[in-house]
Amino acid sequence: MFLTVTLSLLEGFLGTIKLFALTLLFSLPLGLILSFGSMEKLGVIKYPIRFLIWVIRGTPLMLQLLIIYYGPGIFFGVNVWGGSANGRFAAALVAFVINYSCYFSEIFRGGIQSIPVGQYEAGQVLGMTKRQIFFKVVLLQVIKRIVPPMSNEIITLVKDTSLARVIAVYEIIWNGQAFIKSSGIIWPLFYTGAFYLIFSGLLTLLFGYIEKKLSYFR
Amino acid sequence: MSILEVSNIQKSFDSETILKGISFSMEEGESVSIIGSSGSGKTTLLRCLNFLETPDEGTISVRGEQIFDAHGPVLKPEEIRKRRLHFGMVFQQFNLFPQYTALENVMLAPKITTDSPDISQIEKNGKELLDQMGLSDRMNNYPHQLSGGQQQRVAIARALALKPDILCFDEPTSALDPELTGEVLKVIRGLAEQKTTMIIVTHEMTFARDVSDKVIFMDGGVIVEQGESHAVIDDPKEERTRQFLASYSGV
Ligand SMILES: Nc1ncnc2c1ncn2[C@@H]1O[C@H](COP(=O)(O)OP(=O)(O)OP(=O)(O)O)[C@@H](O)[C@H]1O
Ligand SMILES: [Mg+2]
Repeated sequence: MFLTVTLSLLEGFLGTIKLFALTLLFSLPLGLILSFGSMEKLGVIKYPIRFLIWVIRGTPLMLQLLIIYYGPGIFFGVNVWGGSANGRFAAALVAFVINYSCYFSEIFRGGIQSIPVGQYEAGQVLGMTKRQIFFKVVLLQVIKRIVPPMSNEIITLVKDTSLARVIAVYEIIWNGQAFIKSSGIIWPLFYTGAFYLIFSGLLTLLFGYIEKKLSYFR
Repeated sequence: MSILEVSNIQKSFDSETILKGISFSMEEGESVSIIGSSGSGKTTLLRCLNFLETPDEGTISVRGEQIFDAHGPVLKPEEIRKRRLHFGMVFQQFNLFPQYTALENVMLAPKITTDSPDISQIEKNGKELLDQMGLSDRMNNYPHQLSGGQQQRVAIARALALKPDILCFDEPTSALDPELTGEVLKVIRGLAEQKTTMIIVTHEMTFARDVSDKVIFMDGGVIVEQGESHAVIDDPKEERTRQFLASYSGV
């Protein structure tokens, strides 16, 4: 029984990791773009983006999942997601990407704005282009500063993936819960915790390693 | 022909006029010190020369070539980058890049801003400059491993690496502990002896008198007095200059 449960949970955890990894893949670059937008001088770009970030950070992710999945059908009468498991996964992914892009963008913005203007000016008087200043001077300093908040947010994401259950996306908790109905046992549900723990433990190690790698400068 | 000709530079922030028509010129190989009380516009003037601020009025020419005209067409970023390289800038707060070693700080700009950089030549030149700054044993240290005086000397080497026509210093020793100012002033004195063209904003009056050829005294956004350095500091003509210098004597 233990083996059967473990295998089933592993399969569910694959869904969890897929959602986790794809969310990161899309929301990191999108977050960077949003952070640039939210620092724009131009109000027409800045204010809508700040408004979006406020809305997304100010409402529960669970609600956002429901709205993204059911919204198009209810408000426009179109079922963009289809009824399949893939469709539900896509809807969850979109909700997670939007949500996490907003959180990441605030972390990026904080990191970028914490770099003293003297760094930019030193680059400018040395004849560097804006691009060169960003990539050769500023970026690594930003990364160093945002590693701790990013690691927090990314570990939160691991656990947040369980929210996808509300639109019936198959992930580990879904599989754990299935044993209650099918076999009348509840321990597989508790057992899922071990998977989360191990995975977030690995991530903690990874971020600790990155932090250490970047500790050669201040 | 003068190496630098600054004419009628004016600059306002919001509604406050900070520079009210600054004109001066300097010759190749000269070093000029700018003195004046806090808020008189010294930093703003250096920032205008380095294209960190855009003057509202006036012109700047280097070796007879006009590189800035407030009424000229708006310059493209690329053009600004080219023109500002006539000047080098050493900041009060050093502004070294923390993730690079001393040598990498000096090499970075030559390496990434030239089209087909000769890395070994750039490295050789960087080492020579750091050597000249008395930092041969600190080349591979990161800025946080260096004292303020050492950091400022790296910053000077970094500015020199681009071979500017005119090197500007904005209070290069003001952020340093008193016992570290000497080593930085010594390096600048060495540059003066080699006839490096320099503009030095400083509160070190003795240094201004003994090292620079000319002294400019600024107050309230105008040049009140300028002339040969001993003349201005030891025997000022203007009452305001006398008052300002009096506040320094006995310190
Ligand atoms: N970006 C800016 N926006 C608004 N005001 C500014 C700006 N930069 C400088 N100022 C103002 O201009 C005035 C002159 O500043 P500046 O830094 O040029 O003086 P300074 O002579 O270098 O003084 P100090 O000896 O204290 O360095 C100050 O009153 C300052 O507040
Ligand atoms: Mg100043």
